[in-house]
Formats: sequence, C-alpha cells, structure tokens
Amino acid sequence: MPVLLAVLLSASVLAASPAPAPLTPLQQAQVSRIGESIRCPICRDVLPITESGNDISHQMLAEIRAQTRAGQTDNQIYAYFRERYGQRVLLRPPVDWAGTLLWALPVLALLLGGGALLRYLAGQRRAAGVDSLAAADPALNAEDPEDPYLAEIRAQVQTARERRGGT
Amino acid sequence: MTRLHFTPPTWRRFAPPALAFVLVAALGAALLRPKDTSSGTGDPLLGQTAPTFALRTLDGGTLSLAQLRGKPLILNFWASWCVPCRDEAPLLREVSEQQGGGGLNVVGVLFQDPDQGRMRKFIADYGLAYPNLLDSDLKTSINYGITGVPETFFIGADGLIKSVDRGGLTRERLSAGLKTIGVTF
Repeated sequence: MPVLLAVLLSASVLAASPAPAPLTPLQQAQVSRIGESIRCPICRDVLPITESGNDISHQMLAEIRAQTRAGQTDNQIYAYFRERYGQRVLLRPPVDWAGTLLWALPVLALLLGGGALLRYLAGQRRAAGVDSLAAADPALNAEDPEDPYLAEIRAQVQTARERRGGT
Repeated sequence: MTRLHFTPPTWRRFAPPALAFVLVAALGAALLRPKDTSSGTGDPLLGQTAPTFALRTLDGGTLSLAQLRGKPLILNFWASWCVPCRDEAPLLREVSEQQGGGGLNVVGVLFQDPDQGRMRKFIADYGLAYPNLLDSDLKTSINYGITGVPETFFIGADGLIKSVDRGGLTRERLSAGLKTIGVTF
C-alpha cells in the first residue's frame, strides 16, 4: 500500500506542470515598474494595473511576469501591450519625435517670442534715445544738403511755384 | 544728417513666414497623424491578422480560429451582466440566422463572466444558436485589446481584422461592419 501511494504521489508530481521559477529581485522590480506604467484597460479612472485589482489587470500582470521571466525587455513588453491596446494603455508614453516636437514647440515659441520682444523693446529705446538727442541738438535734425533726391523734389516744387506765380 | 536705411538680409525676411509654415505643418501633421496605428483608422488591430485562439465552448468542446478560417467572421465579446449586450443580441441572432447557412460565422466570447447559469439564461432568452466561448484566463481578451463589452470584430475570410466596433451594435453599425467583410445585411 505505501508503495502504491508513493507511485501515485510521484506520478501526480510528474503530471503537474512545474511551478514557474521565482523572480529575482531585479525581475520583481521590472514587473512593478512596468505594471505601474500600464493602464487598466477597463477602468473608468486612470489606474495602473497594479492598483485596479480586477481579473484582466491580474492577468496582464501575470503576462508581464511571464515575459519578464522569459527575459523580455521593458520596451518589448510595452510594445506587446501597445500592439493590442494602442498607445492609450501606456501611462507614460514613450519619447518619439512627434511627442518631443509637441513638448518643445511651446518652449521654442516662448524663447523666440521673448527674444523678438526684447529686440523690439531695445529698438524702441534706441530710437527714443536718438530722438531726444536730435531734439537737444538741432544740427542733427538738419536736412542733408547733399541729398540728391531731396534736391530734386525742391527743384520740382520751386518750378511748380514759379509756374503758378507766372500764370 | 542722412538717416541710414537698414535693409535686413534676405534670410531674415523669410524667417518669420518660414517659421510660421513649419509650426503650421507640424501641427497639421500631428492632427492628421493616425491615432495609435499605422493602418490609419484608429484601432491598433485594424488591418492586422486576427490573434489566434482555441477556447472551450459552453458545451464543453473546443473551437479555434483556425477552424473558422475561410469564411468572414463576427467575433463578439460580451457578458451576461452587460446591458448593451442585451440590445445587440437580437441583431446578432438575426444575422447569424440569415447568413449562417451561407458565408458567415458568428462567434461569441464571454468576457469576465463568472456565472455560467446567467450566461446560459442569456443565450436561451435571446435564442442564440451560434457558439459561445469561455475565455477563462482572459488571454484572448488581452490579445484583442478588449476595453469593455460589447466589442465586436469583423474578420475577413483572409483572417484580417477589417473593422472593430467598440460599444453596442445598432443595425446601421452592424451593417457597416459586415460590409467591410463583404456581407450584405
């Protein structure tokens, strides 16, 4: 009887699927890190699967554990869920060119706008300085006697006056 | 005194409109960029090969996607506790009865529904004759990116997902989905 029991017990042990190897502390940390970044897909609130506690979140965590045990990297596991649920499943979307551009554009616009405003204000100040200098020194306001364009206008005005005066 | 007239270099004249163009182009590209996917229509699974499954039926048998290949397929995720599933059940029964003999498979997958008694009652109440599968470990639901029920996948005879309806089906939405897999309803 004990022999039969031993045979039965060993057969049942062999038939049972082997328990998965326990995760190393590093792998545990990877599971926690990824689990905290994956959104519960059926929750109304934005909750990570580590906090939601429903069946599908548990299963998703089990999937992360299995993939971590199999040596998958964070990015590979994120890609696995993104392929199925889309970007919305990621609580921390990965950095890509479009996202970077979207974040950088307002900062860039602020810098450019600020720079342009400063230049404009500096120009205004400079112009105001020149005007006050000109007001103080009438010589600066004098028209340039060498200006050929001005001379031509003067000549034309003079001619027109003379004609009017002659008629 | 002659006032010096400063002529800005050519690049400075073109810089503001060029910058405005770049900004508008970037915003336009971001707005027009398809959401989530390269297929261009918003759902990550659209245009992809339907994820395989082999699940137990309520009757104790097993049904796999491989067994359903060659015909268009409606794969409907539902639960007996789901109210919109009750609204669309008569439509699914109608289409399965109308098209079942011809060229369409209709299959239901139970999502997070622990009560088999309620499932069976639901099926009896609406007279659903098509197979309904148990996704006990929810792996199939994860593979199809289920975010709630009901959700329905319209899979072409070639095994590609042609259309996805997330939310309760109406006659119009069912008809539109069926059209993508070449079925008139």
